[in-house]
Amino acid sequence: MQLTQKNINNSNLLLKVNNLSVFFNTPEGNIQVVKDANFSLNKGECLGVVGESGSGKTQTFFSITGLLSSNGYCKGSAIFKGFDLITSSEEEKRRYLGKSIGFIFQDPMTSLTPHMKIGKQLSEIAIFHEKLSSKLAMERSLEVLDIVKMPKSRDLINSYPHELSGGMKQRIMIAISLMCRPELIIADEPTTALDVTTQSEILSIFNDLKSNMNIGIILISHNIGVIAETSDNVAVMKNGLIVENGSTFNVLTNPKDEYTKHLLSCIPPWLEK
Amino acid sequence: MRTNMIKFIVKRLLIAIPTLLVIIAFGFIMMRVAPGGPFTSERALPPEIERNIQEAYNLNKPIWEQFYIYIKNLSVGDFGPSFKYKDFTVNELILSGLPVSVTLGLSSIIISLFIGCFLGIVAAIKRNTYFDYSVMSISLIGICIPSFVMAPLLSLFFGLYLGLLPTSGWNGGNVLNLILPITALSLPQIAVISRMMRASTIEVLNSNFIRTARSKGLSPSYIVRKHVIRASILPIIEYLAPASAGLMTGSIIVEQIFGLPGIGRYFVVGALQRDYTLVSGVMILYASLLIALILVTDILRALLDPRVKL
Ligand SMILES: Nc1ncnc2c1ncn2[C@@H]1O[C@H](COP(=O)(O)OP(=O)(O)OP(=O)(O)O)[C@@H](O)[C@H]1O
Ligand SMILES: [Mg+2]
Repeated sequence: MQLTQKNINNSNLLLKVNNLSVFFNTPEGNIQVVKDANFSLNKGECLGVVGESGSGKTQTFFSITGLLSSNGYCKGSAIFKGFDLITSSEEEKRRYLGKSIGFIFQDPMTSLTPHMKIGKQLSEIAIFHEKLSSKLAMERSLEVLDIVKMPKSRDLINSYPHELSGGMKQRIMIAISLMCRPELIIADEPTTALDVTTQSEILSIFNDLKSNMNIGIILISHNIGVIAETSDNVAVMKNGLIVENGSTFNVLTNPKDEYTKHLLSCIPPWLEK
Repeated sequence: MRTNMIKFIVKRLLIAIPTLLVIIAFGFIMMRVAPGGPFTSERALPPEIERNIQEAYNLNKPIWEQFYIYIKNLSVGDFGPSFKYKDFTVNELILSGLPVSVTLGLSSIIISLFIGCFLGIVAAIKRNTYFDYSVMSISLIGICIPSFVMAPLLSLFFGLYLGLLPTSGWNGGNVLNLILPITALSLPQIAVISRMMRASTIEVLNSNFIRTARSKGLSPSYIVRKHVIRASILPIIEYLAPASAGLMTGSIIVEQIFGLPGIGRYFVVGALQRDYTLVSGVMILYASLLIALILVTDILRALLDPRVKL
């Protein structure tokens, strides 16, 4: 409660989501997969979103960014720097997408265009949004590959996605989200399917982005350990509802909701500090 | 890449030789098994004359020896004399028909590809709109009506009733004479290609990497041009060889109906009159074209999809 009060006239406020609902038209009828979600995010902070598979985490953020499948639609508002992403037209939204808002997708294996070189997949964003020349955009690509700690980036920009490992593709996805120096990054399970070392490397990249570049991060995960390591606030989702929302410390040490308690009890004891 | 490509092409051409030999042998046997011969006619010829003719065309030799002689001549590019067009060799006949058939076939395939792909992409982007529904239902009709029905209907309507276009003849390759035959040949292909292209484009539009492209805020037209088409056109490339085969068989009939002096017509005339060498020659030409097309298909696929290695 205190948290939302503080947010209302906070110039640090980056994203405020009010009463967001997501629906799908299916052959079996209309289904609602996100129910009246409310949350907010400040600059330079990280909001962790946890919840079991199918709880609606991904669709919540697809709806905000207009990436829902064609049978989906949404209601509510999502104010990004004073601009409502939900009611705006596709064209207006495109000015923000890829520029101020970067999206990192859940499945890096299939999320890169198979027939396009990595360098092009990165540079096209800056060419499009900032009208950079191909040469400058390519230099920008090398810079962001540096940020995500990709070695041999000069060879990398000439390779195709199928030539990269899963971890490398994951880093490329992060690099894509960084191309135009975003203010908000939505990272959908960026560390699943990675080994523990790579996972902690990537989490430390996020921590750097947050504190050094003042980027707001939304980190979706079903691994509460990952959330504990990076997030300032946590939202817990279950069956399309946000059942708990508050500072990471409060939620993890003093969970109010039964479901959160259950999630916490699932952490292996050796992970708790 | 380049040396790989050359190696690949040479390898495939070497494989093509036994394939062609089998096809030639098959055609050779089929023709001779069919009742009647090139020189059987209503009125029996005097035996001496018949013997002379048989001798001149080696028809009195055992069949395997005939085959051997035929292959030997083929290896130096000689398709032999025509049995029916007495003053011509098969080479001359094919060369005279080639310009007509190539003009017809190439224009049809290019037109079908462009129109089919374009309609398919637009229908996929505007799926479940009136545009989509009309393209899909018209194309269904196009698939159901074969060229040999379409061709007479077209010439009846545009040629006889409206009097807009000539219904037959080559006329030195005049564009007006080509419109109806090309239309009759292309329509079924346009129908098939537009449906395939629609299906594959919809699949690509729903894929994860297009969602990534959209998350970059790129314009829809840019996404279609740079991210969608190259992926969604792959099934069409695969279809190139079957489509050309369809066009070849279609052209046999269409050339006949529109009275075009192409290879397809020689094929029909040759088959009806047991002109062994002419039919074999045309068949070898068709088979080689198809083999070459499959080769081109494989090369195109490797060029379009970096995951495919030659
Ligand atoms: N196009 C669609 N049509 C119908 N239902 C859909 C569609 N896309 C997603 N859903 C449903 O929406 C619900 C929420 O899905 P969502 O992808 O948000 O889950 P998630 O929390 O991200 O799960 P995970 O952790 O497995 O990624 C699921 O029950 C899913 O079946
Ligand atoms: Mg998800």
